[in-house]
Amino acid sequence: MTTSHSEWIKFLRQYGPIPRNDNMYDETIQRVVKRKKIQPILIEAKYLEELITNFRSEKPKSVILTGTAGDGKTFHSREVWLDLGGTYEQWEVPGNIKQLPIGNHKTLYVIKDLSELTDQEREYLVLFAQGIKGRRTDVLFLIAANDGQLIEALKQVNEDFNAIGIREIIEEMLVTEQQEHGSYGLRLYNLSRISAAWALPQVIDAVVNHSGWNDCDHCQYRDHEDMQKRCPIWENKKRLEDVEGAKTIRTRLIDLLELCEINNVHLPMRQLLLLVANMILGHSDVKDKLMRCQDIPTIIEKRTMVKASIYRNVFGENLTERKREATDVFNTLGRFGIGNETSNKIDNILIFGNDDPDLKDLYQELMLSDEYYGADYTFKIQQKAYLEGNMEEGGAEFISLVRSQRQRLFFSIPREKEDDLKLWELTTFQYAGEFLTKVYRLIHQGAKPSSQILSRLVRGLNRISTGLLTRTQDKLILATSGSHSQAKVSKIFESFISVTRDRGESVQIKAEASGKLNLEVSLSSNPATPIVKLHLQLIRYEFLSRVAEGALPGSFSRECYEDILAFKSRLLKQLDVRKKHDEEDVEFNDSMSFHMIKLNADGVLDKKTVEVLF
Amino acid sequence: MRDILPRPSRIDSDMWVDEAIWGHRLYDEQNPWLCFMEFLNVLNSEMEVDRAFVETIPNSLSYSPQSRLYLRHILFNNPRMSVIERQHRNDNRAQWDRWKESMANSAGIMNPDYAYLEERFSSFEDFKEVVEFLCSSTIEGENNKRWSSQFVFPFGPDCLYEDLNVRDNGTSQDRRFFARTGEMLYLMLSRSGKGDELISHFQSRILKKEMKFNRLVAALQPNHELVHSTTTKREGTYLPYIDLPEYAAIAEDWIQLFRCNIPTYDVVPYLINILGLHMLLYSLNRSKEVLDQNEKATFVVEIVSPKKTVIREISADSFSDNHNLSRFAVEHYVGRVRETEEWKAAIQENELLTIREILKRKFSWPKDNKEKDFEHIESAEELFDTFFENAINRHKQHLNKFHNVWSREIGLSSRRGSRRSRYAPQDLLLKSLVLCVVPSRMEFQEFLEILYVKYGLIIGDKQAAVYINTGRADQEAFFENAARLEQRLSSMGLLKRLSDACAYVENPFATREEGQL
Repeated sequence: MTTSHSEWIKFLRQYGPIPRNDNMYDETIQRVVKRKKIQPILIEAKYLEELITNFRSEKPKSVILTGTAGDGKTFHSREVWLDLGGTYEQWEVPGNIKQLPIGNHKTLYVIKDLSELTDQEREYLVLFAQGIKGRRTDVLFLIAANDGQLIEALKQVNEDFNAIGIREIIEEMLVTEQQEHGSYGLRLYNLSRISAAWALPQVIDAVVNHSGWNDCDHCQYRDHEDMQKRCPIWENKKRLEDVEGAKTIRTRLIDLLELCEINNVHLPMRQLLLLVANMILGHSDVKDKLMRCQDIPTIIEKRTMVKASIYRNVFGENLTERKREATDVFNTLGRFGIGNETSNKIDNILIFGNDDPDLKDLYQELMLSDEYYGADYTFKIQQKAYLEGNMEEGGAEFISLVRSQRQRLFFSIPREKEDDLKLWELTTFQYAGEFLTKVYRLIHQGAKPSSQILSRLVRGLNRISTGLLTRTQDKLILATSGSHSQAKVSKIFESFISVTRDRGESVQIKAEASGKLNLEVSLSSNPATPIVKLHLQLIRYEFLSRVAEGALPGSFSRECYEDILAFKSRLLKQLDVRKKHDEEDVEFNDSMSFHMIKLNADGVLDKKTVEVLF
Repeated sequence: MRDILPRPSRIDSDMWVDEAIWGHRLYDEQNPWLCFMEFLNVLNSEMEVDRAFVETIPNSLSYSPQSRLYLRHILFNNPRMSVIERQHRNDNRAQWDRWKESMANSAGIMNPDYAYLEERFSSFEDFKEVVEFLCSSTIEGENNKRWSSQFVFPFGPDCLYEDLNVRDNGTSQDRRFFARTGEMLYLMLSRSGKGDELISHFQSRILKKEMKFNRLVAALQPNHELVHSTTTKREGTYLPYIDLPEYAAIAEDWIQLFRCNIPTYDVVPYLINILGLHMLLYSLNRSKEVLDQNEKATFVVEIVSPKKTVIREISADSFSDNHNLSRFAVEHYVGRVRETEEWKAAIQENELLTIREILKRKFSWPKDNKEKDFEHIESAEELFDTFFENAINRHKQHLNKFHNVWSREIGLSSRRGSRRSRYAPQDLLLKSLVLCVVPSRMEFQEFLEILYVKYGLIIGDKQAAVYINTGRADQEAFFENAARLEQRLSSMGLLKRLSDACAYVENPFATREEGQL
């Protein structure tokens, strides 16, 4: 039996977090592909079909492709070029700007890179401006550039009479994430804004189904009878693939990434590839922290397979802290605090599960069943020593093992047990799971979240709005403190807003076209009093839910707190507008009344009216 | 040297040194909020006589603040109210009577009569609710200052009164907390050329009688205290410079803040923050002028990071450099006199009398009734040294601390996590800056540049060239400093990051249709 030395593994390593010059990314990979004759990792280009349809249509529009390095701008551009009749040779000719005559007497100009335009080349941008303004109908543009370069280049063109205004328009579109603009023949595609739910499965499949794995067919470490002699790379690959199972790693990762997107943090394709490569190959003791075939015998001999645990690699635990923080995907995933956060239930299982008859079944299912990365030999020894109190360094070693196990549990607790074991308490966002499944995805499927959830949010808002521990949740309380709205306790009652629809008032959670979720408060059916919206992302949802369940508004996130107070002051402003329309704002010269809020012993709000006479 | 306006004829201080450089005066114990309150008193009083922001003869300001003693006793010198309310619950008559008895000795008021309150409120209980509510809006919340230095939130003109020392036999303006910094602010704005626009903003928001809570505060006052009285006159403010770019800068920032259309009184904390920053710049710039330093005043700012960075050290150095500037300025200003021809001549001739005359003429030292204390000094050297020492000691008592106190009050400096103070801005200050500088949307790099140009704030590597070139820090340190600011602004909802190293700072109050955040 032999040990393989897989070229494929070496190739896959290139995608991981190795030290490299990022500008050479593509070149390095292309070189290896050519030299070793390996199939490149192919991922479907998401917008390709749409782009081609556009350029072939009766009324084609110019296109800008933005995104970071590695998002596929060049790839998309080249494929469009080829599809519309251009050739490889023409494409490879040096030069930033290419021309291609296409149907309908039009010429397509493709600009590959905006970073070093000559003065002459800049003229093309003026032509571009005329094109999108409709002044020249015979030209079309396909520009591939990242946001920074785009804005820079447009700035330089701005003085030209024909180009006036396009920088502002395009800037606006970029910042507000619009894809199209009413009066301009332009479409903007931000390739960084791919959804993880679409991209991650693609990446995983492309990697685990790659023909390169055939190299491992005759390796002695692959699926060895003795579990302790199995190759961790192959183990990781199997777990990721999870042919027979529920693909829990995949779905949980998608959950995490989707939550990031809701919080406006997007990870480009290149980071996803890095993540998958690290997941499979990461190990803290090897060169560059990524395994190669030749590392395996040593790892097995030293019994350090657990350091290759795919569940730790997800968070980049194999890397140094500095590297982890400097790498986008690990930085982002690290914000969930998985490994640090926990609940009593989970930790009880991890630490006492072996000895506690009540937890024994769960311990068996979640820990003992995984002999490789779960309760393995080292873990059992450390656990015993910890419980018996014979620890060196106060149990630091065991605690770090527990940490890794929490990370593993996050990706292995089955769906059915999610609620029972309170899976999301393993993260800093306890309500994340609920938010994702019972609010965000539900609304996008066209259904409405339960009234219990809405009530909880309203209760949270009321507690922040008044600064009191109120239990009111069927109406929104608008109260002020008189002086500035950042004051913590607001005792002057202004109005109730009914949650269920009543005379134009309502509180609802709705999604807008872009997919954003908003909490919408309507104060009146009169269109002159528009709806006030609060963008509901994960942090705000978590914050409101926690406050509703008893946390103090000052905890968890001060920025969130001020956000919500700002929302309150917008509501108060709209209340004023409504009063004006309803002519309720008439002030009398000889008297004035106030409603002071008091909380009675049951947590219910009481209003006391005070009248002042002049 | 800039043109300096003639000093006032009657000077009541030990000498005229600090005042000659910075005006009469900047004071450490008058923090930005109190400065603003004093300013409002001046503005309102001048508005009452249609003279707002008008300065016909420089430094001739004479205004009439109100004292509103009844209001202040009710709000801040009213210890028995809760007890009486409780003890005589359900007996409204008894509550009023007992309470009026307890207030019979209200200091500073002759024959106090609180009966008018019974007509204003349907019950004593209501009265108590209102008083408690208004107390909760006290500026600076619970603090240890004397009751006559507590200020209710400036809901409107009827809430304004001056800081006083109130004793049984009368009141006096001891300039404890209204030490004229607010008056100087008023003169600065008067000379900014933007007075008219400022007036219209103040009139429509902060100094509007009809505002609900202003009327509530008015309800606590007897009619005779609601009439604008001109019996008291405060005079004597001195701002040495007829025109400085700083004046217009404050005015413009305030106008920009007003234009943001922030809900009612919310604009006040931002106004105060920014005025604080400008006053700091004013004080630093005057020091620099005296010291003939041409480079502008700067603050190396650390955006707080969990780990210690080299920026923290540099920022602490920047802080201590700025801290020492005023003292060096005074030393230089005073020491300069020895380079003059007349001084050198007098020294040569050993004309002690001339020396005394020079010191008296230039620095008004010693004060008229204190001349005897220094008559015994026989040598010019010793005379000068004594004067020098007095000048520095006097400076150290108050103005030397100005930078320290004010930078902390506006949330610019901090000692958190470190032995030394350094510049580490808090969220409110960052937000104030965004509101002032960004009309609706601005590229992040441009934002950093404007912060440097307008306020001397050094955050990113482009502005820190002088530190990078001398090797004190590498570019990366400042680059990461700016990246942390990006992150901070983003989490405050003030910044939108695009997919690349391209970010926009956004003003949340920019004119935008309602419904969106």
